[in-house]
Amino acid sequence: MSKNNPVKIEPNRSWEENRSKNVTFVVTEDCQLRCRYCYMVGKNKAGRLKLDIAEKAIDYLLGQRELVPESSVVWDFIGGEPFLEIDLIDRICDYFKIRAYELSHPWFDSYRFSFSTNGLLYNDDRVQKFIAKNASHLSIQITVDGTRAKHNLQRVYPNGQGSYDDVVRNIPRWLEQFPKSSTKVTISSDDIPHIKESVLHLWGLGIKEVNINVVFEDVWKPGDDERFEDQLVSLADEIIAKKLYETYSCSFFSKMLGYPYRDNNNWCGAGKMLAVDHLGNFYPCVRFLGFSLQNRAALVLGNCFDGIDRNRLRSFLTLDMVSQSPAECIDCDVAMGCAWCQGANYDCADTATIFQRATYLCKMHKARVRANNYFWNKLGRRLGKDLRAESSGDGPGSC
Amino acid sequence: MLKYLLVVLSESSTSFCHYESKPGKGPAKDLIPLKSLENAVIFALKNNLKVNFLYPARKLGQAYEDLIEGVDHVKIVPFAARARYPEAILVIESSDFPVAVELRTLRGGNIILRLRRTDLPKLSACLGRLLPRAKRVNLVLTDVEKYGPGEFTEYRRQLEKVSTRLQAMSAGKEPPELNVLTDRLVLGKMNNCDAGLSHLTVAPNGRFYLCPAFFYGSPDETLGEIRNDVPIGNRQLLELKYAPICRICDAYHCRRCVFLNRTLTLELNTPSYQQCQLSHIEREASRLYSQKLKAAGGSAAALVDIPEIAYDDPFDVVVANKQSIAEFKKL
Repeated sequence: MSKNNPVKIEPNRSWEENRSKNVTFVVTEDCQLRCRYCYMVGKNKAGRLKLDIAEKAIDYLLGQRELVPESSVVWDFIGGEPFLEIDLIDRICDYFKIRAYELSHPWFDSYRFSFSTNGLLYNDDRVQKFIAKNASHLSIQITVDGTRAKHNLQRVYPNGQGSYDDVVRNIPRWLEQFPKSSTKVTISSDDIPHIKESVLHLWGLGIKEVNINVVFEDVWKPGDDERFEDQLVSLADEIIAKKLYETYSCSFFSKMLGYPYRDNNNWCGAGKMLAVDHLGNFYPCVRFLGFSLQNRAALVLGNCFDGIDRNRLRSFLTLDMVSQSPAECIDCDVAMGCAWCQGANYDCADTATIFQRATYLCKMHKARVRANNYFWNKLGRRLGKDLRAESSGDGPGSC
Repeated sequence: MLKYLLVVLSESSTSFCHYESKPGKGPAKDLIPLKSLENAVIFALKNNLKVNFLYPARKLGQAYEDLIEGVDHVKIVPFAARARYPEAILVIESSDFPVAVELRTLRGGNIILRLRRTDLPKLSACLGRLLPRAKRVNLVLTDVEKYGPGEFTEYRRQLEKVSTRLQAMSAGKEPPELNVLTDRLVLGKMNNCDAGLSHLTVAPNGRFYLCPAFFYGSPDETLGEIRNDVPIGNRQLLELKYAPICRICDAYHCRRCVFLNRTLTLELNTPSYQQCQLSHIEREASRLYSQKLKAAGGSAAALVDIPEIAYDDPFDVVVANKQSIAEFKKL
C-alpha cells in the first residue's frame, strides 16, 4: 500500500503472536457486572485464586520446558473481573519475575502481563500503582461495547443498571497510558442494530483499534444475518466516505476473509494456551472451566500438584479443521475467517467431544464475507487498486 | 458395516481385551436375562452377524446353551472353563500361569493371553510355553494406562526374545501366529478393533455398548436397547478418517482401542501415548523379525515391506505437520 493511501483497517497482530505461551490465571470468578451475553454463566464469590496455588502453577510451568517450549509467555489475568484481585496479581507477577530470574529462564526477558477488564477499577490507586510498576510489560484491554445504548444493553450491574458512564470516564487516562490500546466488542442478536454507530463511537472516543466478534453461542434469530450485513455495509460506506480506513481499524474487515480453505489448521488455540483456576487445575482455555460451560462438566488437563496429563493434551494439539468439520465447511467457497470456539463446540456437541464443530454461525459468517467483499471492492475502486490479494493461509483466530 | 456381535453372557464373563470384568460372582443373577439373549440372537440372525459369546467360568443353564447354538458363533471362555468348551478361544491370564500345569493339554487352538503389567518380565517365558501349543496367540496387555518408559524398554526386550523363539518355530509346517509380531507382516492397511463399526456389544443388562469395556468402565455410555437403528453420536469419530493421529500411522496391527482412547485422552479418536508407543514397539519388533525371516529365505519373500521410521509416536509427526486438506479428501 502506498504511503499516500494507507489502509489501516485491519488490526495489528498481537505481541509475539504464535510464538508465546498464553497462560490465563482466572483470579476470581466474581465480577461487578452481569453482562447478558457473557459466557461465564456461573459467576460466584467462592472461586478466588490463592497466592500459593498461583506460585505452584508458575513453578510447574517454569520447570516444564519440554511441555512448554515457547520462548515467550503472556500471563493473562482474567476473571470475572481481574482488577478485583489486583493485590494478588501484583504478588503473582513479582513471584514470576523472581523465579524466572533465579532459574535464568528465557521468559524472564520475554513476558507480558495482559488484562481484559471491564475498566471500572482502572483509576483505583492500587491498579495505578501496579501499572506504574509494570508498564513496559503490560497490555490492558478495557471493554467498551460501543454507544451508551449498545453498552448498557448488555453490560449491566446485577440490578440491571448500565455501566457505560462508569467505564467511559476512565478511558482518557487509559488511552493516555496506553495510546495504542484496543477494545473488544461483542455482538449478540440484540446488538446488531447498534454495530455501525458503536464502532464509529469507539473511534470517536479515541480507541483506534476495535476488535469485534459475534458471540459463539447459538443465540441467532431468523433475519439476523441480513441485519448484520446491512450494518456492516453501512459501516463500510461511512469508513470509505470519511477515509476512516487511514486512521482506524476494525476486525470485521480483513483481506484474509472469504476464500476457500488453504490449510488444515484449527482456528482455535485451546490447549496450546492454558488456563489455571483457584484449585490449581489446568484447562485448555478459560472456556473449559465449569463456570463457562452450560451443558458439560469442566474439562481438566491436570493440576499444578500432579502436573498436566499429556494424554489429555493430545487431542487439542492434533485437532485440525477437517477432523471436526462437516463436508459443507471443508468445501465452503468462503470458509476463511469463519471462526469457532472449541469450548462452545464442546459445550453444545452431541457427545462429549471437541471434534464436532458447531455450524449455527454459518449465515452470520457469510453475511460478514459479503459485507467485507463490498468494503474492499468499493475501497479498491475508490483508490484505483485491487486490494483483494489472496491470503496465504488462515491462522488461529482470536475469541 | 456390522460384521459380528459380542454378547457378554455374565458380569463375571472373562475379559478378552484391555478392560477388567467383574470377577467370579455367585449365582445366576449376574447372567444376561434369557429374553435379552434371545433378542441378541434374533438381531444377529436378522443382520447376518456372527456372535462372539463371552463366557463366565461357571456353568450356564441348558436354556442358555440352546439359544447360543441357534446362531453362528464363537465361544470365548476363561481358562477355568476350558474343559467344557474344547473348541473355544481360551483366555489365559498371566496370573493363571503358576497353577496352569494343564497348559500341556492345549492342542493347536486360539489363545488370548492377558498379561498384567507386573508380569511383563515373564512375557517371553509365558509365550515360550504357549506358542508351541497354539495356532495363534493374541497378546493383550492390561494396565496400559500405567505403562511408562521402564515398561516400554522391558516390552522391547521381551519381544526381541519372543522373536527369536518364533523364528525357531517358523521352519515348521504351521508356525504359530502372535498378533503383536506376525500380524503386521501381512497387513497393507489398518486392521483395528473397529468397535461400533464392525461390531457392537450386548451387555448383561441387555443393552448395546460400543464394546464390553464401556459396560464395565463407563456403563452410562450405553447405546440403548437392542433395536435396528443403533444411535451412535458422532459415529464418524470411530472411523480412521476422523482420527488425526491414526490416519497417518502405519502400525496397521494396532487395536486402536476406542475405550482406552476415551478413558485416557477423553476422545474416542485420539490414542494415548501408551497405545502409540506400544504399537510402535511392536511395529519395530515386527520389522526386525521380518528382516530375519527374509534373510532366512523360504516363504518370507511374500511378507510386506515395513519401512524403518524415525519416530515412535505418530503424534509427533502430526504436531509437526498437519495433514493437508487434499490428503484428507483422498481417504
